Amino acid sequence: MYEEPYRWVEAVGNRRQYLDEQFKQGSPVVALTYDGGILLTTVSKGTPKLYEIYDRLALGGMGHPTDLEKLRFSLLEMAHVEGFNRSPSDVTGSRLVKYGIAPVIKQAFEEVYKAPFIVRILVAELGQKPEKDALLTINYDGTFEEATGCAVLAATPAAQTKMVSYLKEQMPVTLSLAQALDLALRTWAIGSLAHQQEETDQQAETEPPANKAGSSTAAIPSADALMAHVRGTAAGRTIECAILERQAPGTSKYRSLKQADLSRLLPKALQSVVVN
Amino acid sequence: MGMQGDFHQLLKEQGYTLGVPTAVGTGHALTNATTILAFKYRDGVLVAGDRRATAGNMVMYDRTDKVLEIDRHSVMAIAGVPATAYEMVRVLEHSFKYYRRTQLQDLSFDGKLRAVSKLLKDNVPAALAGTGAVVPVFAGYDLEQGSAKIYFYDILGAEFEGVEYAVSGSGSPTIRGILHYLNTWGDQPLNALVEEQAMVQALRLLTSAAEFDSATGGVNREASLYPVIKLITGAGVQTVPDATLKPLYESQVVRYV
Repeated sequence: MYEEPYRWVEAVGNRRQYLDEQFKQGSPVVALTYDGGILLTTVSKGTPKLYEIYDRLALGGMGHPTDLEKLRFSLLEMAHVEGFNRSPSDVTGSRLVKYGIAPVIKQAFEEVYKAPFIVRILVAELGQKPEKDALLTINYDGTFEEATGCAVLAATPAAQTKMVSYLKEQMPVTLSLAQALDLALRTWAIGSLAHQQEETDQQAETEPPANKAGSSTAAIPSADALMAHVRGTAAGRTIECAILERQAPGTSKYRSLKQADLSRLLPKALQSVVVN
Repeated sequence: MGMQGDFHQLLKEQGYTLGVPTAVGTGHALTNATTILAFKYRDGVLVAGDRRATAGNMVMYDRTDKVLEIDRHSVMAIAGVPATAYEMVRVLEHSFKYYRRTQLQDLSFDGKLRAVSKLLKDNVPAALAGTGAVVPVFAGYDLEQGSAKIYFYDILGAEFEGVEYAVSGSGSPTIRGILHYLNTWGDQPLNALVEEQAMVQALRLLTSAAEFDSATGGVNREASLYPVIKLITGAGVQTVPDATLKPLYESQVVRYV
Protein backbone atom coordinates (compact mmCIF):
# COMPACT_ATOMS: atom_id res chain seq x y z
CA MET A 1 0.00 0.00 0.00
CA TYR A 2 3.03 2.23 0.32
CA GLU A 3 3.67 2.14 -3.43
CA GLU A 4 1.57 5.23 -3.86
CA PRO A 5 3.64 8.34 -3.18
CA TYR A 6 0.98 9.87 -0.99
CA ARG A 7 0.83 6.78 1.22
CA TRP A 8 4.57 6.80 1.55
CA VAL A 9 4.66 10.43 2.63
CA GLU A 10 1.94 9.68 5.11
CA ALA A 11 3.85 6.66 6.45
CA VAL A 12 6.99 8.73 6.90
CA GLY A 13 4.92 11.34 8.70
CA ASN A 14 3.55 8.70 11.05
CA ARG A 15 7.06 7.53 11.65
CA ARG A 16 8.13 11.01 12.74
CA GLN A 17 5.27 11.11 15.19
CA TYR A 18 6.15 7.67 16.52
CA LEU A 19 9.82 8.55 16.87
CA ASP A 20 9.18 11.89 18.55
CA GLU A 21 7.15 9.96 21.08
CA GLN A 22 10.08 7.61 21.74
CA PHE A 23 12.39 10.38 22.92
CA LYS A 24 10.06 11.64 25.61
CA GLN A 25 11.85 9.79 28.38
CA GLY A 26 15.27 10.62 26.98
CA SER A 27 17.87 12.60 28.85
CA PRO A 28 19.49 15.52 26.97
CA VAL A 29 23.19 15.44 26.07
CA VAL A 30 25.37 18.55 26.21
CA ALA A 31 28.77 18.97 24.54
CA LEU A 32 30.90 22.07 24.74
CA THR A 33 34.49 23.08 24.28
CA TYR A 34 36.54 24.25 27.26
CA ASP A 35 40.12 25.50 27.51
CA GLY A 36 41.58 21.98 27.55
CA GLY A 37 39.36 20.15 25.09
CA ILE A 38 35.74 19.06 24.77
CA LEU A 39 33.34 18.05 27.53
CA LEU A 40 30.31 15.78 27.07
CA THR A 41 27.70 15.50 29.80
CA THR A 42 24.41 13.78 30.40
CA VAL A 43 22.45 12.30 33.27
CA SER A 44 21.84 8.66 32.47
CA LYS A 45 19.67 5.95 33.89
CA GLY A 46 20.79 2.36 33.60
CA THR A 47 22.80 2.34 30.39
CA PRO A 48 25.69 4.68 29.67
CA LYS A 49 25.18 7.21 26.89
CA LEU A 50 28.71 8.50 26.33
CA TYR A 51 31.32 6.45 24.55
CA GLU A 52 34.81 6.51 23.06
CA ILE A 53 34.94 6.03 19.29
CA TYR A 54 38.51 6.72 18.31
CA ASP A 55 41.66 8.53 19.44
CA ARG A 56 39.99 11.93 19.15
CA LEU A 57 36.34 11.04 18.77
CA ALA A 58 33.58 10.70 21.32
CA LEU A 59 29.94 9.73 21.00
CA GLY A 60 26.89 10.83 22.93
CA GLY A 61 23.45 9.39 22.27
CA MET A 62 19.78 9.49 23.07
CA GLY A 63 17.24 6.84 22.33
CA HIS A 64 17.05 3.09 22.32
CA PRO A 65 20.14 1.44 23.84
CA THR A 66 20.24 -1.39 21.29
CA ASP A 67 20.02 0.95 18.30
CA LEU A 68 22.70 3.12 19.84
CA GLU A 69 24.90 0.04 20.30
CA LYS A 70 24.46 -0.97 16.65
CA LEU A 71 25.48 2.44 15.40
CA ARG A 72 28.29 2.67 17.93
CA PHE A 73 29.69 -0.58 16.58
CA SER A 74 29.53 0.58 12.99
CA LEU A 75 31.27 3.81 13.94
CA LEU A 76 33.96 1.88 15.81
CA GLU A 77 34.44 -0.50 12.90
CA MET A 78 34.70 2.24 10.31
CA ALA A 79 37.02 4.35 12.45
CA HIS A 80 39.42 1.55 13.29
CA VAL A 81 39.58 0.08 9.80
CA GLU A 82 40.22 3.53 8.36
CA GLY A 83 42.79 4.31 11.06
CA PHE A 84 44.59 1.07 10.29
CA ASN A 85 44.43 1.21 6.50
CA ARG A 86 45.24 4.90 6.21
CA SER A 87 46.31 6.66 9.37
CA PRO A 88 44.72 7.82 12.63
CA SER A 89 44.71 11.42 11.37
CA ASP A 90 42.49 10.40 8.46
CA VAL A 91 39.73 9.31 10.82
CA THR A 92 37.54 12.39 11.04
CA GLY A 93 34.14 12.83 12.60
CA SER A 94 32.66 14.54 9.59
CA ARG A 95 33.57 11.70 7.21
CA LEU A 96 32.26 9.05 9.61
CA VAL A 97 29.00 10.93 9.98
CA LYS A 98 28.38 12.19 6.46
CA TYR A 99 29.47 9.12 4.50
CA GLY A 100 29.22 6.54 7.27
CA ILE A 101 26.22 6.43 9.54
CA ALA A 102 23.97 9.31 8.43
CA PRO A 103 23.06 7.53 5.14
CA VAL A 104 22.40 4.31 7.08
CA ILE A 105 20.10 6.11 9.51
CA LYS A 106 18.29 7.88 6.70
CA GLN A 107 17.76 4.66 4.78
CA ALA A 108 16.37 2.89 7.83
CA PHE A 109 14.07 5.84 8.46
CA GLU A 110 12.65 5.85 4.95
CA GLU A 111 12.27 2.11 4.50
CA VAL A 112 8.82 2.15 5.99
CA TYR A 113 8.53 -1.65 6.08
CA LYS A 114 11.46 -1.89 8.47
CA ALA A 115 12.15 -0.51 11.90
CA PRO A 116 13.95 2.85 12.06
CA PHE A 117 16.82 3.62 14.42
CA ILE A 118 15.45 5.25 17.54
CA VAL A 119 18.48 7.45 18.12
CA ARG A 120 19.83 10.94 18.12
CA ILE A 121 23.60 11.02 17.99
CA LEU A 122 26.27 13.55 18.81
CA VAL A 123 29.85 13.05 17.62
CA ALA A 124 32.53 15.24 19.17
CA GLU A 125 35.89 15.56 17.49
CA LEU A 126 38.98 17.02 19.10
CA GLY A 127 40.96 18.80 16.40
CA GLN A 128 44.73 19.07 16.28
CA LYS A 129 44.18 22.74 17.10
CA PRO A 130 41.32 24.13 19.20
CA GLU A 131 39.80 25.91 16.21
CA LYS A 132 39.49 22.54 14.46
CA ASP A 133 37.26 21.07 17.18
CA ALA A 134 33.98 19.94 15.67
CA LEU A 135 30.63 18.81 16.98
CA LEU A 136 28.17 16.92 14.80
CA THR A 137 24.63 15.93 15.56
CA ILE A 138 22.49 13.46 13.64
CA ASN A 139 18.74 13.17 13.96
CA TYR A 140 16.75 9.93 13.61
CA ASP A 141 15.97 10.78 9.96
CA GLY A 142 19.63 11.09 9.02
CA THR A 143 19.84 14.88 8.90
CA PHE A 144 23.11 16.05 10.37
CA GLU A 145 24.34 19.41 11.52
CA GLU A 146 27.85 20.60 12.17
CA ALA A 147 28.53 23.07 14.97
CA THR A 148 31.47 24.59 16.77
CA GLY A 149 31.66 25.59 20.42
CA CYS A 150 28.63 23.74 21.64
CA ALA A 151 25.98 21.24 20.56
CA VAL A 152 23.14 19.44 22.28
CA LEU A 153 20.72 16.56 21.88
CA ALA A 154 17.27 17.04 23.34
CA ALA A 155 13.85 15.39 23.37
CA THR A 156 12.21 18.01 21.13
CA PRO A 157 13.43 20.71 18.72
CA ALA A 158 12.00 23.38 21.03
CA ALA A 159 13.98 22.08 24.01
CA GLN A 160 17.06 21.92 21.81
CA THR A 161 16.67 25.55 20.74
CA LYS A 162 16.29 26.66 24.35
CA MET A 163 19.40 24.77 25.41
CA VAL A 164 21.53 26.13 22.59
CA SER A 165 20.42 29.71 23.16
CA TYR A 166 21.11 29.35 26.90
CA LEU A 167 24.57 27.96 26.16
CA LYS A 168 25.39 30.69 23.65
CA GLU A 169 24.24 33.34 26.09
CA GLN A 170 26.10 32.00 29.12
CA MET A 171 29.28 30.77 27.49
CA PRO A 172 32.29 32.96 28.23
CA VAL A 173 35.23 33.15 25.82
CA THR A 174 37.28 30.65 27.79
CA LEU A 175 36.21 28.39 30.57
CA SER A 176 37.88 25.80 32.75
CA LEU A 177 36.70 22.20 33.02
CA ALA A 178 34.88 22.89 36.30
CA GLN A 179 33.15 25.94 34.82
CA ALA A 180 32.26 23.96 31.70
CA LEU A 181 30.79 21.18 33.80
CA ASP A 182 28.73 23.66 35.78
CA LEU A 183 27.40 25.29 32.59
CA ALA A 184 26.77 21.92 30.94
CA LEU A 185 24.67 20.71 33.86
CA ARG A 186 22.67 23.91 33.95
CA THR A 187 22.04 23.54 30.21
CA TRP A 188 21.02 19.95 30.79
CA ALA A 189 18.49 21.23 33.35
CA ILE A 190 17.17 23.78 30.83
CA GLY A 191 16.55 20.94 28.38
CA SER A 192 15.01 18.68 30.95
CA LEU A 193 12.75 21.46 32.30
CA ALA A 194 11.73 22.64 28.83
CA HIS A 195 10.66 19.14 28.07
CA GLN A 196 8.67 18.79 31.28
CA GLN A 197 7.00 22.08 30.44
CA GLU A 198 5.99 20.82 27.01
CA GLU A 199 4.49 17.75 28.60
CA THR A 200 2.30 19.77 30.91
CA ASP A 201 1.39 22.09 28.03
CA GLN A 202 0.26 19.11 26.03
CA GLN A 203 -1.85 17.81 28.86
CA ALA A 204 -3.60 21.20 28.94
CA GLU A 205 -4.42 20.82 25.26
CA THR A 206 -7.61 22.82 25.70
CA GLU A 207 -5.68 26.04 25.97
CA PRO A 208 -5.59 28.12 22.79
CA PRO A 209 -2.23 28.06 20.99
CA ALA A 210 -1.58 31.73 21.80
CA ASN A 211 -0.99 30.86 25.45
CA LYS A 212 1.41 28.12 24.48
CA ALA A 213 3.65 30.58 22.74
CA GLY A 214 3.63 32.65 25.92
CA SER A 215 4.83 29.76 28.07
CA SER A 216 7.73 28.89 25.77
CA THR A 217 9.19 32.37 26.17
CA ALA A 218 8.91 32.13 29.97
CA ALA A 219 11.80 33.59 31.96
CA ILE A 220 14.94 31.46 32.22
CA PRO A 221 15.22 29.95 35.71
CA SER A 222 18.09 31.11 37.91
CA ALA A 223 21.30 29.11 38.16
CA ASP A 224 20.32 27.90 41.63
CA ALA A 225 16.93 26.70 40.44
CA LEU A 226 18.60 24.84 37.57
CA MET A 227 21.06 23.16 39.91
CA ALA A 228 18.22 22.23 42.23
CA HIS A 229 16.53 20.56 39.28
CA VAL A 230 19.68 18.58 38.46
CA ARG A 231 19.97 17.56 42.11
CA GLY A 232 16.35 16.46 42.15
CA THR A 233 16.59 14.41 38.95
CA ALA A 234 20.08 13.00 39.41
CA ALA A 235 19.16 11.06 42.54
CA GLY A 236 19.12 7.42 41.53
CA ARG A 237 20.73 8.29 38.18
CA THR A 238 24.31 8.87 37.14
CA ILE A 239 25.85 12.17 36.15
CA GLU A 240 27.92 10.98 33.22
CA CYS A 241 30.85 13.08 32.01
CA ALA A 242 33.51 12.38 29.44
CA ILE A 243 36.27 14.57 28.08
CA LEU A 244 38.47 14.69 25.04
CA GLU A 245 41.58 16.11 26.61
CA ARG A 246 44.04 17.86 24.33
CA GLN A 247 47.00 17.45 26.70
CA ALA A 248 46.35 13.79 27.58
CA PRO A 249 49.44 11.57 27.21
CA GLY A 250 49.44 9.00 24.41
CA THR A 251 47.23 8.92 21.35
CA SER A 252 43.85 8.21 22.99
CA LYS A 253 42.44 11.51 24.22
CA TYR A 254 39.12 10.23 25.56
CA ARG A 255 38.61 9.85 29.27
CA SER A 256 35.41 9.34 31.19
CA LEU A 257 35.41 11.23 34.48
CA LYS A 258 35.40 9.00 37.55
CA GLN A 259 33.79 9.61 40.94
CA ALA A 260 37.00 11.15 42.27
CA ASP A 261 37.24 13.64 39.37
CA LEU A 262 33.59 14.53 39.67
CA SER A 263 33.64 15.20 43.38
CA ARG A 264 36.53 17.58 42.73
CA LEU A 265 34.94 19.31 39.74
CA LEU A 266 31.23 19.39 40.40
CA PRO A 267 29.64 22.52 41.86
CA LYS A 268 29.08 22.30 45.63
CA ALA A 269 25.32 22.02 45.23
CA LEU A 270 25.78 18.62 43.57
CA GLN A 271 28.48 17.06 45.73
CA SER A 272 25.93 15.06 47.70
CA VAL A 273 24.55 13.48 44.53
CA VAL A 274 27.94 12.10 43.50
CA VAL A 275 28.74 10.57 46.86
CA ASN A 276 25.62 8.40 46.67
CA MET B 1 30.27 -10.21 14.23
CA GLY B 2 31.82 -7.23 15.90
CA MET B 3 30.54 -8.29 19.30
CA GLN B 4 33.72 -10.29 19.84
CA GLY B 5 35.77 -7.13 19.57
CA ASP B 6 38.32 -8.91 17.39
CA PHE B 7 39.91 -6.37 15.11
CA HIS B 8 42.16 -8.78 13.23
CA GLN B 9 39.13 -10.90 12.36
CA LEU B 10 37.39 -7.76 11.10
CA LEU B 11 40.37 -6.99 8.87
CA LYS B 12 40.41 -10.54 7.54
CA GLU B 13 36.74 -10.31 6.67
CA GLN B 14 37.64 -7.31 4.56
CA GLY B 15 40.23 -9.32 2.71
CA TYR B 16 43.34 -8.40 4.65
CA THR B 17 46.18 -10.88 5.07
CA LEU B 18 49.26 -10.40 7.15
CA GLY B 19 52.58 -11.43 5.60
CA VAL B 20 51.96 -12.85 2.12
CA PRO B 21 54.34 -15.78 1.60
CA THR B 22 56.53 -15.93 -1.46
CA ALA B 23 57.26 -19.33 -2.99
CA VAL B 24 57.83 -21.62 -0.02
CA GLY B 25 61.35 -22.81 0.51
CA THR B 26 63.23 -20.16 -1.41
CA GLY B 27 65.78 -20.78 1.27
CA HIS B 28 66.63 -17.28 2.43
CA ALA B 29 68.55 -17.27 5.68
CA LEU B 30 66.40 -16.10 8.55
CA THR B 31 67.37 -12.55 9.32
CA ASN B 32 67.16 -11.23 12.85
CA ALA B 33 70.17 -8.98 12.90
CA THR B 34 69.69 -6.86 16.00
CA THR B 35 69.73 -7.03 19.77
CA ILE B 36 66.73 -6.51 21.99
CA LEU B 37 66.43 -7.27 25.67
CA ALA B 38 63.98 -6.98 28.51
CA PHE B 39 64.46 -7.54 32.22
CA LYS B 40 62.51 -6.86 35.36
CA TYR B 41 63.86 -4.25 37.74
CA ARG B 42 62.51 -2.98 41.04
CA ASP B 43 59.62 -0.86 39.73
CA GLY B 44 58.62 -2.77 36.62
CA VAL B 45 60.24 -3.93 33.43
CA LEU B 46 62.91 -2.36 31.23
CA VAL B 47 62.90 -3.01 27.49
CA ALA B 48 65.79 -1.89 25.31
CA GLY B 49 66.97 -2.27 21.74
CA ASP B 50 69.83 -1.02 19.59
CA ARG B 51 68.98 1.16 16.63
CA ARG B 52 70.77 -0.41 13.70
CA ALA B 53 68.96 -1.83 10.69
CA THR B 54 71.02 -3.96 8.31
CA ALA B 55 70.65 -5.74 5.01
CA GLY B 56 73.34 -8.37 4.74
CA ASN B 57 76.54 -6.61 5.68
CA MET B 58 75.20 -3.20 4.78
CA VAL B 59 74.06 -0.78 7.46
CA MET B 60 70.81 0.59 6.14
CA TYR B 61 69.80 2.92 8.93
CA ASP B 62 71.11 3.84 12.34
CA ARG B 63 68.06 5.32 13.98
CA THR B 64 65.53 2.52 13.91
CA ASP B 65 63.14 2.19 16.83
CA LYS B 66 62.72 -1.50 17.58
CA VAL B 67 61.00 -1.06 20.93
CA LEU B 68 57.46 -0.15 20.07
CA GLU B 69 54.75 0.97 22.40
CA ILE B 70 51.51 -0.91 21.79
CA ASP B 71 49.39 0.68 24.47
CA ARG B 72 49.87 2.52 27.77
CA HIS B 73 51.10 -0.65 29.50
CA SER B 74 52.68 -2.88 26.89
CA VAL B 75 55.62 -2.79 24.58
CA MET B 76 56.82 -5.09 21.84
CA ALA B 77 60.51 -5.25 20.99
CA ILE B 78 61.12 -6.67 17.56
CA ALA B 79 63.84 -8.75 15.94
CA GLY B 80 63.42 -10.07 12.45
CA VAL B 81 61.96 -8.68 9.25
CA PRO B 82 61.01 -5.08 10.02
CA ALA B 83 58.22 -4.79 7.46
CA THR B 84 56.29 -7.66 9.04
CA ALA B 85 57.17 -6.61 12.57
CA TYR B 86 55.91 -3.04 12.13
CA GLU B 87 52.75 -4.35 10.52
CA MET B 88 52.19 -6.69 13.46
CA VAL B 89 52.62 -3.83 15.87
CA ARG B 90 50.08 -1.79 13.94
CA VAL B 91 47.59 -4.64 13.98
CA LEU B 92 48.11 -5.18 17.71
CA GLU B 93 47.85 -1.51 18.54
CA HIS B 94 44.52 -1.24 16.74
CA SER B 95 43.32 -4.59 18.11
CA PHE B 96 43.82 -3.55 21.73
CA LYS B 97 42.22 -0.15 21.17
CA TYR B 98 39.31 -1.70 19.29
CA TYR B 99 38.74 -4.27 22.00
CA ARG B 100 38.81 -1.67 24.76
CA ARG B 101 36.43 0.65 22.95
CA THR B 102 33.93 -1.96 21.80
CA GLN B 103 33.86 -4.09 24.95
CA LEU B 104 34.27 -1.15 27.33
CA GLN B 105 37.02 -2.91 29.26
CA ASP B 106 40.72 -3.48 28.73
CA LEU B 107 41.90 -6.67 27.09
CA SER B 108 43.49 -8.79 29.82
CA PHE B 109 47.24 -9.30 29.77
CA ASP B 110 46.76 -12.95 28.83
CA GLY B 111 44.45 -11.85 26.04
CA LYS B 112 47.17 -9.57 24.71
CA LEU B 113 49.72 -12.40 24.77
CA ARG B 114 47.34 -14.62 22.90
CA ALA B 115 46.83 -11.91 20.28
CA VAL B 116 50.60 -11.77 19.65
CA SER B 117 50.71 -15.56 19.38
CA LYS B 118 47.86 -15.66 16.89
CA LEU B 119 49.50 -13.06 14.67
CA LEU B 120 52.75 -15.02 14.65
CA LYS B 121 50.86 -18.18 13.82
CA ASP B 122 49.12 -16.48 10.89
CA ASN B 123 52.52 -15.37 9.72
CA VAL B 124 54.11 -18.84 9.72
CA PRO B 125 54.04 -19.35 5.90
CA ALA B 126 55.84 -16.05 5.36
CA ALA B 127 58.24 -16.83 8.18
CA LEU B 128 59.15 -20.21 6.75
CA ALA B 129 59.55 -18.79 3.28
CA GLY B 130 62.23 -16.58 4.76
CA THR B 131 60.56 -13.29 3.96
CA GLY B 132 58.68 -12.48 7.13
CA ALA B 133 60.14 -14.08 10.25
CA VAL B 134 59.66 -12.05 13.41
CA VAL B 135 60.96 -13.02 16.85
CA PRO B 136 59.50 -10.52 19.31
CA VAL B 137 59.77 -9.92 23.01
CA PHE B 138 56.52 -8.72 24.56
CA ALA B 139 56.69 -6.97 27.90
CA GLY B 140 54.16 -5.16 29.95
CA TYR B 141 52.60 -4.41 33.25
CA ASP B 142 49.65 -6.58 34.25
CA LEU B 143 47.45 -4.12 36.11
CA GLU B 144 45.12 -6.80 37.45
CA GLN B 145 47.95 -8.68 39.13
CA GLY B 146 50.07 -5.62 39.77
CA SER B 147 53.21 -7.16 38.31
CA ALA B 148 55.54 -6.74 35.36
CA LYS B 149 55.75 -9.57 32.84
CA ILE B 150 58.05 -10.57 30.00
CA TYR B 151 57.33 -13.07 27.24
CA PHE B 152 59.33 -14.14 24.24
CA TYR B 153 58.21 -16.00 21.17
CA ASP B 154 59.61 -18.23 18.46
CA ILE B 155 58.71 -17.60 14.82
CA LEU B 156 55.87 -20.12 14.97
CA GLY B 157 54.03 -18.30 17.74
CA ALA B 158 54.92 -20.38 20.79
CA GLU B 159 55.01 -18.15 23.83
CA PHE B 160 57.46 -18.52 26.71
CA GLU B 161 57.56 -16.54 29.88
CA GLY B 162 60.93 -14.97 30.59
CA VAL B 163 60.68 -14.92 34.35
CA GLU B 164 63.52 -12.46 34.96
CA TYR B 165 64.75 -11.50 31.50
CA ALA B 166 64.40 -12.25 27.80
CA VAL B 167 66.58 -11.48 24.79
CA SER B 168 66.27 -11.79 21.04
CA GLY B 169 68.24 -11.04 17.88
CA SER B 170 71.68 -11.86 16.55
CA GLY B 171 73.49 -10.09 19.40
CA SER B 172 71.50 -11.89 22.06
CA PRO B 173 73.78 -14.92 22.68
CA THR B 174 76.45 -12.57 24.02
CA ILE B 175 74.22 -10.84 26.53
CA ARG B 176 72.14 -13.82 27.50
CA GLY B 177 75.17 -15.21 29.32
CA ILE B 178 75.86 -11.86 30.93
CA LEU B 179 72.27 -11.54 32.13
CA HIS B 180 72.40 -15.01 33.64
CA TYR B 181 75.68 -14.21 35.36
CA LEU B 182 74.48 -10.86 36.66
CA ASN B 183 71.21 -12.22 37.92
CA THR B 184 72.79 -15.20 39.65
CA TRP B 185 76.07 -13.87 41.01
CA GLY B 186 75.82 -10.12 40.67
CA ASP B 187 75.78 -7.79 43.68
CA GLN B 188 72.03 -8.01 43.60
CA PRO B 189 69.50 -9.81 41.41
CA LEU B 190 68.18 -7.84 38.41
CA ASN B 191 64.76 -7.36 39.96
CA ALA B 192 66.31 -5.45 42.86
CA LEU B 193 67.94 -2.81 40.62
CA VAL B 194 66.68 0.73 40.94
CA GLU B 195 65.74 2.61 37.79
CA GLU B 196 69.12 4.26 37.22
CA GLN B 197 71.12 1.06 37.75
CA ALA B 198 68.78 -0.78 35.44
CA MET B 199 69.40 1.80 32.69
CA VAL B 200 73.17 1.55 33.20
CA GLN B 201 73.02 -2.25 32.90
CA ALA B 202 70.94 -1.98 29.74
CA LEU B 203 73.50 0.38 28.18
CA ARG B 204 76.38 -1.92 29.17
CA LEU B 205 74.59 -4.98 27.81
CA LEU B 206 73.87 -3.37 24.45
CA THR B 207 77.43 -2.07 24.24
CA SER B 208 78.67 -5.63 24.85
CA ALA B 209 76.35 -6.99 22.19
CA ALA B 210 77.65 -4.38 19.72
CA GLU B 211 81.20 -5.41 20.55
CA PHE B 212 80.66 -8.95 19.25
CA ASP B 213 77.83 -8.54 16.75
CA SER B 214 78.29 -6.38 13.67
CA ALA B 215 74.54 -6.06 13.20
CA THR B 216 74.04 -4.41 16.58
CA GLY B 217 74.51 -0.66 16.73
CA GLY B 218 75.50 0.10 20.29
CA VAL B 219 76.16 3.70 21.26
CA ASN B 220 77.62 6.31 18.94
CA ARG B 221 78.48 9.36 21.02
CA GLU B 222 79.75 11.47 18.11
CA ALA B 223 76.35 11.18 16.49
CA SER B 224 74.70 11.34 19.93
CA LEU B 225 73.02 8.08 19.11
CA TYR B 226 71.74 6.10 22.07
CA PRO B 227 69.72 2.90 22.24
CA VAL B 228 65.97 3.03 22.80
CA ILE B 229 65.15 2.25 26.42
CA LYS B 230 61.59 2.07 27.71
CA LEU B 231 60.46 1.57 31.28
CA ILE B 232 57.06 0.07 32.00
CA THR B 233 55.60 0.50 35.45
CA GLY B 234 52.09 0.66 36.87
CA ALA B 235 52.00 4.28 35.71
CA GLY B 236 52.51 3.30 32.07
CA VAL B 237 55.24 3.22 29.46
CA GLN B 238 57.95 5.83 29.65
CA THR B 239 60.67 6.39 27.06
CA VAL B 240 64.01 7.37 28.55
CA PRO B 241 65.25 10.54 26.83
CA ASP B 242 68.77 10.69 25.38
CA ALA B 243 69.53 13.52 27.80
CA THR B 244 69.22 11.02 30.67
CA LEU B 245 71.19 8.28 28.93
CA LYS B 246 74.11 10.51 27.91
CA PRO B 247 75.47 11.28 31.42
CA LEU B 248 74.86 7.69 32.55
CA TYR B 249 76.78 6.38 29.57
CA GLU B 250 79.65 8.80 30.09
CA SER B 251 79.99 8.23 33.81
CA GLN B 252 79.26 4.53 34.14
CA VAL B 253 79.67 2.79 30.82
CA VAL B 254 82.72 4.31 29.13
CA ARG B 255 85.98 3.15 30.65
CA TYR B 256 88.94 5.44 30.44
CA VAL B 257 91.97 3.18 30.59
